[in-house]
Amino acid sequence: MNHEATRQQKPAFAHLVWWFLFAQGGVIAAILIPVHVLVQGILGPLGIVPVVDRHYDTWVRVLSNPLVKLYLLVLIALPFFHFAHRLRYLIVDFGVPAAKSVPAQVVFYGGAVVVAVVTIWVVLTTAPMSFG
Amino acid sequence: MKAPPVSADAPAPATSRVYMPEMGRGWWLRQRHYFLYMAREFTAVPMALWLLWFLVEIQRASNGPKGYYPHSSIGFVVFSVIVLGFALYHSYTFLSLAGVIIHIKGVPSRLIVLSQFALWLGASVVIAAVLIGFAR
Repeated sequence: MNHEATRQQKPAFAHLVWWFLFAQGGVIAAILIPVHVLVQGILGPLGIVPVVDRHYDTWVRVLSNPLVKLYLLVLIALPFFHFAHRLRYLIVDFGVPAAKSVPAQVVFYGGAVVVAVVTIWVVLTTAPMSFG
Repeated sequence: MKAPPVSADAPAPATSRVYMPEMGRGWWLRQRHYFLYMAREFTAVPMALWLLWFLVEIQRASNGPKGYYPHSSIGFVVFSVIVLGFALYHSYTFLSLAGVIIHIKGVPSRLIVLSQFALWLGASVVIAAVLIGFAR
């Protein structure tokens, strides 16, 4: 592979990664978020239905399941890569072209990476892992 | 706005100028479509805040049975109602796009969009069943 070809492939690969995260984050947000907001944000607190996070024992039992930990990581971390892109362009559209700059990209996508790392830390440290 | 050169043969200006489109701050309020576009982009803000709030609740489980308390205030419920509105708008607009993005030979785009909405409904029922079914 010559030097020119390597140079051309680099931005394409970066685009692939960020667009994949943007698209998948959008799908996850679209399919998973409304039901969580409805059940855990409205129906549960109002006492209309019993919800797993209302009591410590049921919540910890669910949180200790590794599959639930993985699910929560996908549910929380992935949409932030979508949000980062949308927020950046929302700011651009409000008349701040600086949001297109590389430092702005580092801040927004870096922020999504920080949320992902914090989410990993939270799901790994909250309830000891168990398959029970 | 400046008028374009009369013909392509017109002499080029001595120094090149960068085209700077003029966009007033309230441009998105001028047309319903512009407003809906901005509303769609804005859905990211309430959804991000809700997920961070949810992450805080997950983290509280590490405080032990005495230290744990779920979000229960009426303020949180009102906030969730607002977030739900934006989240549903994101779902509707994003899943409707599937018909434009995904192309399968012989499959009409309406069917692809329908399958995305069916997936959304199915996932919502399963998640609700888990959230309610494992409660006491």
